Amino acid sequence: MSTFTWFSGRSPALTEQQIERRQQLAETSTLDERPLQQQRFVVLDLETTGLNMRRDQVLSIGAVVIDNGAIDLGQLFECTLQRDGHQASASTLIHGIAPSEIAKGEEPAEALLAFMEFVGDSPLLAFHAEFDQRMLARALKQSLGYRLQHGFFDVAEIAPLLCPKASPNLHGLDGWTQHFGLQVLQRHHASADALVTAELALILFSKARQQGIDSLPALQQQLNSRRRQRAHSI
Amino acid sequence: MSKADDFAQAGKTAVLQNIHGTVEFLQKFPPFNQMDMAHLAYLVENCQLRFYGEGETIIKPTDGPVEHFFIVKQGRVHGERPHSARRGTETTFEITTGECFPLAALIGERATRTEHLAAEDTFCLLLPRAIFIKLFAQSNALRDFALRGVSSLLDQVNQQVQLRAVETLGAQYSLDTRLRDLAMRQPISCAPGTPLREAVKLMHEQHVGSVVIVDAGRKPLGIFTLRDLRRAVADGSAMDQPIDSLMTQSPFHLAPDASAFDAAIAMTERHIAHVCLVENEQLCGVVSERDLFSLQRVDLVHLARTIRHAGRVETLAALRGDVRQLVDSMLAHGASSTQITQLITLLNDHTVCRVIELTLEDLGDPGVPFTWLVFGSEGRSEQTLHTDQDNGILFEAANAAEAAAIRGRLLPLAQEINRRLATCDFTLCKGNIMAGNPELCLSRQEWAQRFNSFVQQATPENLLASSIYFDLRAVWGETQGCEQLRIGLLQQVSGNSLFQRMLAENALRQRPPVGMFRDFVVARKGAEKDTLDLKVQGLTPFVDGARLLALAHGIGACNTLERLRALVQQGVIEALDGAAYEEAYHYIQQARMQQHQLQARSAQPYSNRVDPDNLNHLDRRILRESFRQAQRLQSSLATRYQL
Repeated sequence: MSTFTWFSGRSPALTEQQIERRQQLAETSTLDERPLQQQRFVVLDLETTGLNMRRDQVLSIGAVVIDNGAIDLGQLFECTLQRDGHQASASTLIHGIAPSEIAKGEEPAEALLAFMEFVGDSPLLAFHAEFDQRMLARALKQSLGYRLQHGFFDVAEIAPLLCPKASPNLHGLDGWTQHFGLQVLQRHHASADALVTAELALILFSKARQQGIDSLPALQQQLNSRRRQRAHSI
Repeated sequence: MSKADDFAQAGKTAVLQNIHGTVEFLQKFPPFNQMDMAHLAYLVENCQLRFYGEGETIIKPTDGPVEHFFIVKQGRVHGERPHSARRGTETTFEITTGECFPLAALIGERATRTEHLAAEDTFCLLLPRAIFIKLFAQSNALRDFALRGVSSLLDQVNQQVQLRAVETLGAQYSLDTRLRDLAMRQPISCAPGTPLREAVKLMHEQHVGSVVIVDAGRKPLGIFTLRDLRRAVADGSAMDQPIDSLMTQSPFHLAPDASAFDAAIAMTERHIAHVCLVENEQLCGVVSERDLFSLQRVDLVHLARTIRHAGRVETLAALRGDVRQLVDSMLAHGASSTQITQLITLLNDHTVCRVIELTLEDLGDPGVPFTWLVFGSEGRSEQTLHTDQDNGILFEAANAAEAAAIRGRLLPLAQEINRRLATCDFTLCKGNIMAGNPELCLSRQEWAQRFNSFVQQATPENLLASSIYFDLRAVWGETQGCEQLRIGLLQQVSGNSLFQRMLAENALRQRPPVGMFRDFVVARKGAEKDTLDLKVQGLTPFVDGARLLALAHGIGACNTLERLRALVQQGVIEALDGAAYEEAYHYIQQARMQQHQLQARSAQPYSNRVDPDNLNHLDRRILRESFRQAQRLQSSLATRYQL
């Protein structure tokens, strides 16, 4: 039987066990110098109630691991979060998760703890990562009182950096997926989207190595200088 | 519910989603489409997905024993190995979406012999070896595929397929049965000094039709059969005469590991009814025609004999139906294309000989010895049921005047033979390559002149002619003249590099229908739309290539497979290449025969065209690799002759 410990104010209610698990979560470290092919990454895709980063909520988490340059099909994460009173909305049509399925889902604190345990100290990759980063950070803060500090890399930003010859009109996960002729098993399903994003990442890592950008710090540096250039040109 | 369970459960949903998608993808391809769902899910759960950029090496010989089973999820993989004739590498095969590699190395627990490269950006699923082995043991579908798909194991698999055919049809129908298994009882034998009476008594008591006469070390000295007894009685031989004075000396023998097919062929060729089995120079069994007779519904030996003794051409024509039936049942029972072409050639030879003999009886002997020559596929002993007449006559003459006189006497006979052969299903040759044509009824000198002109004046017509006439064989009459002609021909060709080069150019005209990006290159329009020609595009490159190399290296054999083997023996082509060519040729020929069989059954005209889309995935793949071997043979010719 669980004992509840109540915090005052807006802090979330967590069991002792959950607090202990939160404290056990891995510290994030600085960017690893090793080649991209030798690292572990977690590729993430969130389905949410909408696109408003202040109000909307995370509905499901799908994640795929890239370890030593390969996607391990036995090591996948997916979880639907329980959200009371969630109503069918416009984005139900996109992600296809029925309200009944969400009501059945995992309790959010449990789900997020399990996910962060799965992530460990690995850097995260996502398509349009800023959105996933902010949504995840807010969910972690609200449900766990945990501050997300993991490094996030945006596949949508890395792709045009490493494929300068690709059309500037390429947009979105669908655009890049088509560009590389990838097949998505079921688009707008968190884990299927995570898988195709991971496949995209494998292609990009291979290109990064060909271009001599073979570590996270080197990649970060290239991304920064591209950002500066773009800021300049605007 | 514990936290660990929750986690496992949460993971499981995702696993199910993405695993399910990958399983669905794999289910479009063999052998995965035949595997149990549980095996397939287990396979996918244990896979890694890896990306290889264009040109990147996936595995190479120096990596050591292969650690993974690779499935191409997307993209193309090329097998490259060092070029046999020049520097650099050549592509030996192509693997595309849904196909897997490197089976032979994985099963053989060794390194791959071929470097595998990503021909374009490629994703592969990698299954660790340990898991593959586990699945290999549990999944019949995977095991069958792995064994069948491996080119070097193809022969073994053919055997398995035949064994399976035998299992379903009963062992008594297999021509691959070892003679050891067929000759179950101890052979009946006696000493050379045994009186005739004793020997016959022994045969009578043992219910056998033959007795083998052996020395003290059980080495066979002779055989005495019921046929010999008939002759002895007719000649009035005394019953106490020693058997060795009446026996047939040095009886024909085979090793006990030879097949029923070998024995049937030997009996048909030699007109004998018994074959001794000898191991380490000791008699260990006897196989009789009757032992073989129980093997087949349509008996080869019996059929050959009936053809040989047919009294009228009409009978011979009627027997053609039996030949077709025999081929049909042999194909159904898993006989190889080589066995079948050998058998058809044998029976066709018998038919031709009999037609000639009957025509001689009817029209009277012209009083000049002559040799009946056959050319083209008949000359190479590679006939299928679908066959044209390509024949000629060779005779000896002292000078041109005598030759003309003899020709005048032989031509009516030759024309009648051509006509009668046509009634026996040997279609008249559209190009008039027939003995009844005065240009093909020649003395040995005239033939030699004609062949020389083909070699000296390499016009397109002459090159075409050489590809028909230089595959020649004597079917009836003295064979010596034909062999002399061949020796002269080989001398002419081996000394003429210009002619060889022209032949090489000619051999490159028919390109195997394998495209770079698609499976096959098929006809684009007309009635032949979407089909490819197994004979012209598949077999001809091997036949032309083997002919050229054989002629250039003084090899007298005409059969394509015999030529390839002789070329390997002489070190002209590498043993590995030779084996691959042979296998590929064999496969295409088999596919062609099966096609003919289907056409005959549905009363359609014979055609060599096949629509690759009608083949199952595995057969398509083997066919494509066979065509690729033809391509390799051509590119080696191009290098050799600097074309």
